[in-house]
Order: sequence, then C-alpha cells, then structure tokens
Amino acid sequence: MNWGVRAVSIVAAVGFCFLIQTVSLGFGADIQRLIALAGLYVTLAVSLNLINGITGQFSIGHAAFYMIGAYTTGYLSIQFLKNSGMPGPVWLLLMMLAGAIMASLAGLVVGLPSLRLKGDYLAIVTLGFGEIVRIIVVNSPFDVSFFGVFKFFTFPNLGGAYALDKIPAIRELWLIWLLAVVCIAVCRNLLKTAHGLAFLSVREDEVASLAMGVNVTRIKVTAFMIGSAFAGAAGALLAHYETSILPSTFAMDVSFIILTMVVLGGTGSITGSALAAITLFALPEVLRRNKEPVTGGTFLAIVIGVIAAVVLIRWFQNEYHGSKNKKTAGYFASVAASAIVAFGLTFALNAIPALHDKAFEGSKLRMVIFAGSLIIVMLIRPEGVFAHHEFSWTWLKKVLRIKPKSEALAT
Amino acid sequence: MLRVESINVYYGAIHALMDVSLEVGQGEIVSIIGSNGAGKSTLLRTLSGLKRARTGSIQFMDQDISETQACDIVSMGIVQSPEGRRIFTNMSVSENLQLGAYIRRDAGVGKDMEEVMQRFPRLKERIKQNAGTLSGGEQQMLAIGRALMCRPKLLLLDEPSLGLAPNLVTEIFKIILDINAEGVTVLVVEQNANRALDIAHRAYVLETGRIVLSDTGKALLTNPKVKEAYLGG
Repeated sequence: MNWGVRAVSIVAAVGFCFLIQTVSLGFGADIQRLIALAGLYVTLAVSLNLINGITGQFSIGHAAFYMIGAYTTGYLSIQFLKNSGMPGPVWLLLMMLAGAIMASLAGLVVGLPSLRLKGDYLAIVTLGFGEIVRIIVVNSPFDVSFFGVFKFFTFPNLGGAYALDKIPAIRELWLIWLLAVVCIAVCRNLLKTAHGLAFLSVREDEVASLAMGVNVTRIKVTAFMIGSAFAGAAGALLAHYETSILPSTFAMDVSFIILTMVVLGGTGSITGSALAAITLFALPEVLRRNKEPVTGGTFLAIVIGVIAAVVLIRWFQNEYHGSKNKKTAGYFASVAASAIVAFGLTFALNAIPALHDKAFEGSKLRMVIFAGSLIIVMLIRPEGVFAHHEFSWTWLKKVLRIKPKSEALAT
Repeated sequence: MLRVESINVYYGAIHALMDVSLEVGQGEIVSIIGSNGAGKSTLLRTLSGLKRARTGSIQFMDQDISETQACDIVSMGIVQSPEGRRIFTNMSVSENLQLGAYIRRDAGVGKDMEEVMQRFPRLKERIKQNAGTLSGGEQQMLAIGRALMCRPKLLLLDEPSLGLAPNLVTEIFKIILDINAEGVTVLVVEQNANRALDIAHRAYVLETGRIVLSDTGKALLTNPKVKEAYLGG
C-alpha cells in the first residue's frame, strides 16, 4: 500500500513535469524561459528553506551556490561536451551532479564556520561568501601564487566581468521542474524521518538539542550541504538554458529575493517557499507586460484603498474579539469596503486635472507593487503566508468537508 | 558510576569550578546545593559535555568522558534536563518526547512513551498541544519525561523546582523519588536545599566554585552550617 502510494506519486511527479513541458511548448520562447526560471526559483527557495527555515541557519548567500553550479558546469560543457559525444540530456544530468557536488563542497566550507556562529554573524559570513565567489569570477583569469613568487596554477578564464558565453544549449524544461519536485520531495521526506525533528530542534534550541544527543554540528553541515547541492544543480540547468551567464546574474539581490521567498511563504514551510517562489517570480513579469497607462488619480486611490484595507484587517486581528467566523467575515468586509472606497476615489481624484494628466505606464510601477505587496504581507501576516504549515491531503479534506456543512446550515 | 576528579572549569578568565571532585554511586540520588553563581549549572554542563573542563577527569562506568562530545555522552546514558527546562516550545508535546528518544533506534520507544504518559497523565491530555502553551509545572514534567525517553542510566536534573508553586515542587520531588526507585541514578542540582537534601542519599554543598561540605542528605539537613546558610536558620 505504502509502496503503491509512492509509485503513484513518482509517476504523477514525472507526468507533471512532462505536462509543464508540453504546455509550455505552446507558448513563445520568452514565456518558456519564464517557466524554466520559475522552476529554478522553486528549487532555490525550497533548498534555502532547508537551511534557513527548517534548520534555522540564517544564510543570505544562496546565490553563491547557484553561481558555483552554473559556472562550474558551464565551463566543463564548453571544454568537454563536444569531445564526450554524449546525448544532451545525459550530459545535463551529469552536469547537474557536478554542479551539486561543487556547490555542496562549498556548502561544507560555509557550514563549518557556522558551527561557531549564530544568527546575524552567520548571515554576515554567508553574505561575504557570496561576494567572494562573485569577485573571484569577475577577476578571472588570474594566477594563484604565493606573493607572486611561486605560481601554483592559473585560475581558468570564466569570462571575467563579461559573460561566460557559448555554453552549449541544452534546454530540458521537464528536467528543471523535475529538480524542483525532487527538491521538494527530499525536504519533505527528510522532515518525516526522526532526523527531520532533529533539524527542527536545532532551530528551536541548540542547547536542548545537544542535551537530547542530537549532533548539532552534523545536522547544520548536512543542511548546508543538501541545500547548496540543490542550488548548484539549479545553476547547472540555468547555465545550459541561458547559454551565457554573467556574474551580475548572481549578485546579492538574487540571494535576497530567494530569502524573501522563504520568509514570505512562511519560514520552515516547504509549500510556502515553493508557492512564494512562483508568485514572487511571476509578479514582476506579469506586471512588466502591462502597458496600460495608470493615471496619478487611480494610483493614489489604490494606495489609499490598500492602506485602508491593511489598517482595517489589523484592527480585526488585534482589537476585535469575536468568533473565528466573524473575524474572517471582518477581513472580507475590510477588503470589500476598501475596494469600494478606492473605486469611488478613482473617480473623485481623477477629476483633479493635475492627478488625471500625470499618467505612468503600468509596467513602470511593477517594483513599487512588488515592494508594496511584501510590506502588506509582512504587516498582516508576519509569520509568512503559510507560517509553518504544509499542504497535505488531510488538510484539503478538512477544508472541503467544512464547506458543505456551512452550506447546509445556510439553507 | 560517576567519578569526577578535581576538575577546573573556566569561562575565559573566570575560574568557575575549582578542584571539584565528587562521586555518584549506582542507584543513588545525589544532590548538589548552593546559592546563585556557586557553579552548580556549570558542573552539570561539564558533566554532559556542553562545557569542557580545563584540567581533571570525569569517569562514567570506568570510561573517561572528559573529552567526549555531548551527543556521545547522551548515548552513553548520561542525560541532562537542562536549567530553565528548555523544552521545544514550538513543537507538540509528543514531538518533544520523540526528540527525547532521538538517539534510540530500538522498538521500545512507543512503549516508553506510554510509560511517560502514565507517569504524567497531564501530558497525555495535552499530547497534541504546543509545548509552549503548557504551564510551568507541566513544562517541567515534559522536560523530565523527555529526558526519561532516552532511557538514562544517570539523570542530571538542573533546578527542577525553579519557578514552581510549592505543591508542584512536592510533586516533582516525589516523581524524582519514583524514578530513582525504578533504578535510575539521579544527580540533582538545587537551590531549594531543604527538599533536595530531604530526598538525597548523599549531598554536596558547592560554594563559589568549591565543594565545601559533603555528607549524607540527612546529616546535612541537621548540619548547623548548612542550616544557617541554606535552610534559613
């Protein structure tokens, strides 16, 4: 029975990946690329969640592992793919493995000092590590020598500050999404084992974990190595998808976006990280396509409406002490009321010529909306959208069962 | 069972434990009493491997453990219930107990969980609840239950009465006696000298990092020096 469920899950997962591949073939190359990148971001967010959310090691250098995977495998492909004579997908799998190994070795290097560092201090180390990796690439090629006296070896040319290009293109969308699914499966199954609780216990209280016989050192390093291995594999896929990679693709802001995905989704929640990755990646891209002009009056009305909604929801959260259902109704009422107010204000404010004549192109507001929505989520749900909850079939059943009941009461 | 020979422990330049030697025999309850800052918790931390002694030796079941890692000491059978309970507040009661059995790979974990439930019926009522929502007394019971899940040979208790109402303190000490009666050796560190001496077979008095007195619990209860300093005259 248990094996039956597992077999079905595996078939479903692979089927899902091919479904994405098939569906995306119907779109143009630009949308295909976005679907590929979204898959990579799911992997990155879920793997960072293992380090950051589940084990509680505050790392903000995840892009560095992504970069190590991308550059290692990009370089290897340029050098060796032609002579190997291997079919593309097999080579890509091999490269994912290579990227994962290199990145997890780097994870070991960062994980080891983390035995002594906690919280902010570890964050600074990982931040520095990210910059070190990027600067090494920017300065390549260079001689590694002892004060210029003994030359050990020459660090290979990775394109310096320009792109490492002419990487052979191997674009396998299904593989990108399969990596995301495998990453989710590994994290989820890790949590189900006895070791999973140990990862959580390290986050909760290191001293108590030690007192229970948990090898805190090993747990932390394991988390770093698994997490960075997945980022490295994602890097390999990126390099062969884009065929040309730049150091600035892996700058600090990428690390922060990944971190934002984890925090917004709910620190420790795999479901949350995965969904937040897709949403946060898609949001600016969708907004970018919006060419409709937005007048100053409309924009102002929306801002006022959003602020009103947040204030009202916060009031229902903190000051209102009714039943849970009444509270939920209150939230909906707040949103509805604010929407009506904003709608009314649109007309009122656009009547003012100064506000009506000043119009922005919708796509230019995308980063404003992106930042604004992050602030809103953090204000009304600081623990992240999913908090520490996970999607499960029992949860879904519960939700579905409540609905008919309330309908029955209404009639 | 446990033999500590003249250990010296430092926090940087601060000499926290000076030439401390003590012994715990199989099946005993040994209490260590002392006021704030005497070094009681440091002593337990050193025994469980969370802190290293600079000199001296610690032997458990004829094996030197002064250099052993904390997680390996737990598998040898020394289990500490740390000061301030240190339960995992964001996990459920049952997850806390499961973590107690983390090092065990045998099939008896479920049965031991049942036993802990029987010993602490109140934990059974709250098994699915977040441990952070328990009252102080229940949290202390959980901390002890969690330590018992390791099947300890030697149980180290750091201030089990801390912050508890008097009737709960009585209950906790009764539980310690019960656990001991079932064959677990107990080393308990306490500020509540009266209770700690009452249940102890033997006891040590720790004062600013030195052991100044050691005797049977009953003898120390009537010792005029102890009476004056720790039992309120």
